[in-house]
Amino acid sequence: MKKHRLYNTIAVLFSVMLFAFVFISCRDLSPDEQSGEMVLNHYFPSKIKSFDPILIQDEYSLSVCSQIFETLYQYHYLKRPCVLIPLLAEEMPEFSDDRLTCTVKIKKGVYFQDDECFPNGRGRELRTEDFVYSLKRTADIKNLSPNWSYFEGKIVGFDEFREYTKSCESAADVDYSRPIEGLQTPDDYTLVIKLVRPWPQLVDNMMADVRDAPVAREAVEYYGKDIVSHPVGTGPFILKQWKRGSYIELIRNPNFRGEPYPSEGEPGDAEAGLLDDAGKIMPFADRIVWRIIEEEQPAWFLFLQGNLDGKSIPKDNWDEAMTAPGELTDKMKRLNIRLEKIQDASVFFLGFNMLDPVLGSNKPLRQAINYSIDREGFIKTFFNDVYDVAYGIIPPVMSDYDPNVKQLGYADYDPDKARQLVLEAEKIHGGKIPTLKIAFQGTSTFYRQFGQFIKRNIEAVGLETELDLMDWPTFQQKVNSAEAQIFAVGGGAGIPDSQDFLSMFYSKYKAPGPNHFNYVNPEFDRLYDMTSIMNDSPQRRQLYRKMERIVLEDCPAAFLDHRVGYVLIHSWYENYKYHIFQYGLSKYRRIDMQKRAEYKELLKKIK
Amino acid sequence: MTVYIIRRLLYTIPIVLGVLLLTFVLFTLVGGDISVELAGKNATPETIEEIREEYGLNKPLFLSWDSQFINHFKSALTFDFGRARDREPVIDKIKRGAGPSLALMVPMFIGIIVISVSLSLVVAFVRGTVWDVLTVIICVAGMSIPYLSFILFGQYFFAYKWGLFPVFFSPDLSTVQYVALPVLIGIVTSLGSNLRFYRTVMLDEMRSDYVRTAFAKGLTTRRVLFKHVLKNAMIPIITRVVMAIPFLFLGSLLLERFFGIPGLGYLMIEAIGSRDYFVINAMTYISAILFVVFNVITDICYAWVDPRVSFD
Repeated sequence: MKKHRLYNTIAVLFSVMLFAFVFISCRDLSPDEQSGEMVLNHYFPSKIKSFDPILIQDEYSLSVCSQIFETLYQYHYLKRPCVLIPLLAEEMPEFSDDRLTCTVKIKKGVYFQDDECFPNGRGRELRTEDFVYSLKRTADIKNLSPNWSYFEGKIVGFDEFREYTKSCESAADVDYSRPIEGLQTPDDYTLVIKLVRPWPQLVDNMMADVRDAPVAREAVEYYGKDIVSHPVGTGPFILKQWKRGSYIELIRNPNFRGEPYPSEGEPGDAEAGLLDDAGKIMPFADRIVWRIIEEEQPAWFLFLQGNLDGKSIPKDNWDEAMTAPGELTDKMKRLNIRLEKIQDASVFFLGFNMLDPVLGSNKPLRQAINYSIDREGFIKTFFNDVYDVAYGIIPPVMSDYDPNVKQLGYADYDPDKARQLVLEAEKIHGGKIPTLKIAFQGTSTFYRQFGQFIKRNIEAVGLETELDLMDWPTFQQKVNSAEAQIFAVGGGAGIPDSQDFLSMFYSKYKAPGPNHFNYVNPEFDRLYDMTSIMNDSPQRRQLYRKMERIVLEDCPAAFLDHRVGYVLIHSWYENYKYHIFQYGLSKYRRIDMQKRAEYKELLKKIK
Repeated sequence: MTVYIIRRLLYTIPIVLGVLLLTFVLFTLVGGDISVELAGKNATPETIEEIREEYGLNKPLFLSWDSQFINHFKSALTFDFGRARDREPVIDKIKRGAGPSLALMVPMFIGIIVISVSLSLVVAFVRGTVWDVLTVIICVAGMSIPYLSFILFGQYFFAYKWGLFPVFFSPDLSTVQYVALPVLIGIVTSLGSNLRFYRTVMLDEMRSDYVRTAFAKGLTTRRVLFKHVLKNAMIPIITRVVMAIPFLFLGSLLLERFFGIPGLGYLMIEAIGSRDYFVINAMTYISAILFVVFNVITDICYAWVDPRVSFD
């Protein structure tokens, strides 16, 4: 009897606790839906680091900051390949005949968002001086901007300003009113830039890049070091909440001047409904929310629950979403989810350190490794047969891509040829090739499996390898200090110019620069110097392709793949068109609130 | 007792100094120079040098009043850990993360103790019966299943499939809402090992002569269990419980990561991943201090619950 009383007491207590817990926790899970606001729900798999444009390095920070800050020019949302159009600029820049002077007129009546840093909290009008001030911040060594290298040796007097900042004792001593010959503002709406030599990437690199967007001096001075979390821009959205590492919320900027939705696009855009909003004033959304979700499972669940508007397909959920590449499962179709194929301007490879005594002077060895890798098998195993095989450096999505690249280089899978080359390599080396060490930038299951695949392929042709898995910073340090022998890495385009990819092989950019291969070829360098002052033209394209062939012949890397992805989009997410540069795109997007509400009902039925 | 506490607190000084020295050696000498990483892609040597200046990495390591070690020591003592790699003050990060971590860990911790100690009393009381065997089997099974499986399973069924809980953190949710499921999962996963431990402790006590004597004297089951058995089992319980408290501060890495709880477990692992020594150093130091302090509290508690333990 006593025993039973004890059991009953404990059982009742547990039941009450559990009931209260579940009851309290499952109330009102979706307050967003009840507010009636148009909310864009996104996520990032990694946290963003800063809202100060001059400190941005990662694509996620760029993506968020580009909704708050604006640049002189932007890429047309619908036209492909990328076309630059004015944003803060009144019109396209005017260049002098010698291409050394660039004049830009900016729009009148553009205001910074309201913020307490301004007198009475009212945002003031944007002036060209703000652009100069923001560029000076990048040059000021006290700000430790990682983006200075883009400007080095490009603008008259800019390097001297940087030298001057080095001589200042502290950040407070830097005089921002100090003139720079190459950055002049004859009036509040005219910016004149004088270049040391022609710089074809000026507009892409400086005028369409959020990292050089104008910031208000008042904000920088008011917030000091905390400017990283207090962005004050001219864009369509303003920061409402930033819970570092977990949540970002932007709301519509009530002071935003408004911008019409594009009225023209590519063939097929009108049929896809992408021109339905032509001429309407943007932005459409009231709020944008980004959750930071590092694990795929919760992000996938949130997407299926309708709490994210779009999501790439996780590897583990591929069969739930797709029956074959390009074909959705019945479940996805019943949920009215649509599929978008995205082709990324990226290339991934195994890089060879040319300073390494074993690899650097042994081309047959590098060729053998190239021939030993089954790239198609690799893509099939790891990327659901979706990625493109990389035969060269420049990705197919770039206009400079060489359609004949497949016939060049050594990217075919040919283990027999690889074995013969190994024998040749051993003769050059004077004996058996020592164990080759391959560095990977992660320790997760993916990198272990990736490493095993590469190891198996290379060892099958008579070479020995050792996998060296490490975290990203260690990897970076090893590669930057030329310690890594072979390294698995990749890169994406920052601008629509293939120079971004070719610069990885320019000898002046050897490690710790982007030339992690420490590759040197005087002919390549000569062509690089020549093309670096050429505008986009068929001649430059030919030279780019010639440079790519030089690299492929010298074989400082085994190119593996170009990233291609599938994104699932909910039916309510409208005006979605993938752009390789995901900057400032949220203003174009809208939500069909009716469809979103209906989805919940649909989901209940399907569940 | 005051003398005892003071003496124990004095003992902690060399321990804390040791921790400071160890973290300095690990992060500064073994970890290497982080200025190149901080400088980013294509950084010039001048930028790298400027970063070294900004973070004091160009100062002598030990032999100077302005050495890196002395500065490390000063910053630890004043709890001024400087700014993290993303330029946010480290202390702000810790303050922000402590709330969500504790909101997750404290109810989980209390839940685990209350449930496992209560159940262990019951199981020990019915030792040898089918209920006892069944409990042990469930405990062993629970211990054998990986932690991650509980999380994946719990998130799939309870949050996604049945919609009883939110899948992921959102600032719109109240603390109870976003920690509810992780807490439940945390309790269930830890119950096996805790219950087995406390059951063993309780069984040792139940077999003692004084228990038989108490029953022989006609005391009620509740009185025997809660007044005598539980009190005598307090030493191992206190050791386990009090020493676990400092770890509550570190949060739970997997639960925080899967449920998006912006706590200190998440912060710590992110700091390790990005080699943010400023954060790692601060977290290690604070954890060490908490550990030392709770060690002292454990010793004091022993004397409280067991009159045989003397402060001398």
